[in-house]
Amino acid sequence: MKLSPAESRVVERMASGVLCRDGFLAGDPRPLPEILDTDASEVARLNLSHEQLAERLAKLLDVAMEGMGATVEVGGGLRVRYAESMGRIPCPWGGCGVFAKGEVEVIGPDGTVRGRFTPLSVHLIGRHGFYQGRGSRYRMEPASLAGLIGLEAAGQ
Amino acid sequence: MGAVMVAILLAAAAAGLLSTVLASVLILAERVLVNYGPCTIDINDGARRLEVTGGETLLASLKSQGIFIPSACGGRGTCAYCKLKVPQGAGPVAPTELPLLTPEEVAAGIRISCQVKVRNDLSVLVPEELFAVKEYRGVVERIRDLTHDIKELRIRLVEPKEIEFKAGQYVQLEAPAYGDNPEPVYRAYSMSSVPEERDAIELIVRLVPGGICTTWVFTMLGEGDEVTFSGPYGHFGLSDSDRDMVWVAGGSGMAPFWSMVRQLRDTGCNRRCTYFFGAVTARDMFLLTELRELEKELDWFTFVPALSEPTPGDEWDGETGLITEVLERHVDDGSELEAYLCGSPGMIRAAGEVLRRKGITSDRTFYDEFA
Repeated sequence: MKLSPAESRVVERMASGVLCRDGFLAGDPRPLPEILDTDASEVARLNLSHEQLAERLAKLLDVAMEGMGATVEVGGGLRVRYAESMGRIPCPWGGCGVFAKGEVEVIGPDGTVRGRFTPLSVHLIGRHGFYQGRGSRYRMEPASLAGLIGLEAAGQ
Repeated sequence: MGAVMVAILLAAAAAGLLSTVLASVLILAERVLVNYGPCTIDINDGARRLEVTGGETLLASLKSQGIFIPSACGGRGTCAYCKLKVPQGAGPVAPTELPLLTPEEVAAGIRISCQVKVRNDLSVLVPEELFAVKEYRGVVERIRDLTHDIKELRIRLVEPKEIEFKAGQYVQLEAPAYGDNPEPVYRAYSMSSVPEERDAIELIVRLVPGGICTTWVFTMLGEGDEVTFSGPYGHFGLSDSDRDMVWVAGGSGMAPFWSMVRQLRDTGCNRRCTYFFGAVTARDMFLLTELRELEKELDWFTFVPALSEPTPGDEWDGETGLITEVLERHVDDGSELEAYLCGSPGMIRAAGEVLRRKGITSDRTFYDEFA
């Protein structure tokens, strides 16, 4: 699949070691447009939009950040915890500003981590429809994410 | 139909190949054939003039003359830390700069110095304090685990042999290329050692999941290894006033205060200081014994450590709750106090709101954000 020069620049910035150690694509062999298209189809199948998913994640992020490292109940037996980190990271698309490096853990009723996301993840999903490559620490399968949101919404 | 499609695909492929070849030729031509000759960089309206060979970026040209501009990405145009005002000679703003600049900054002549090529004489404004910044080589003398995800590095200076800094300032540590990371990166860490100890510095580093520099520190860096850093940078530090103080920190935000309290111990202090330090559980708390010893030793110093989620096994008899809740309980009238905060933006925002309600105005609140 031939990438446009703009897409090539984005993919270069997503490579491991450029903006973060492991990059955004991890070992996902699919070209970026295919990753975007596949996830967009899945989100459409769920009758949702990237913006809806990102909006709910942003709310979870806000709640988690208010906890300043402590876990916070968000309903449905879920808890969130924000782990702060020094520094900021830019969006690989460029032109979107920089984002705090901390991460949110979404913890299930059994104490296991059900998902992780970052302030940048929220932006990547809402603005670019990018859920990161399979194998990435912050990859969120749209269906799994929608499940989490449903649990979060049920508890509100 | 099939033949037409094949022809279209072949034409598209040929066009793509041609544009790639042309772009490569242009880049090669600029590198090999274009000679910009000697160029003059005028700094701060004639205060300094540098003669450089054209063709390098402004950031690299300044660095080659011993002027270090903060940069985290190593000149790849992603961190936007190396902004400088370039009133003349920088040419049009590059497409790679635009995403990192606001319209107001563009209008004011602010540029991303790692994306500006020196092709002719130009003028630039460099903050005065950056002239004191140097590049240092040092050897890691000690690595100490402070918690499960925080380490303290002690670096003995090799060249230059001494550093001058103010408690609260930071350095940029270079993580060399390793593994999949093709180029060095630079990350900022506040110095936790006392400024009077000029031949060594100490840094407090918290592991960032997926972080290039912290992963290197945690998995590859060892005692005896040589490291490079530049500094000192930053404006965070104690004011000259004699107001009593509230310090608030969490995690690696400990670093500047660990430096300040020991400096004040050594140089004398006539200001009362209450230091609130928040952690989640006991395994996230550190320097507890040392700070409690200082509290006993110094009549002007009070240390208030707090856990937001103590576990039964922690056997914690100190303060509990979010650091904002602890501040609410401990600070009554802040109308004569100064506040110093170091930590995540969320903590600084939340703690700042509490302190303002207590009467500590924003002009008496100083903070060092994890940014």
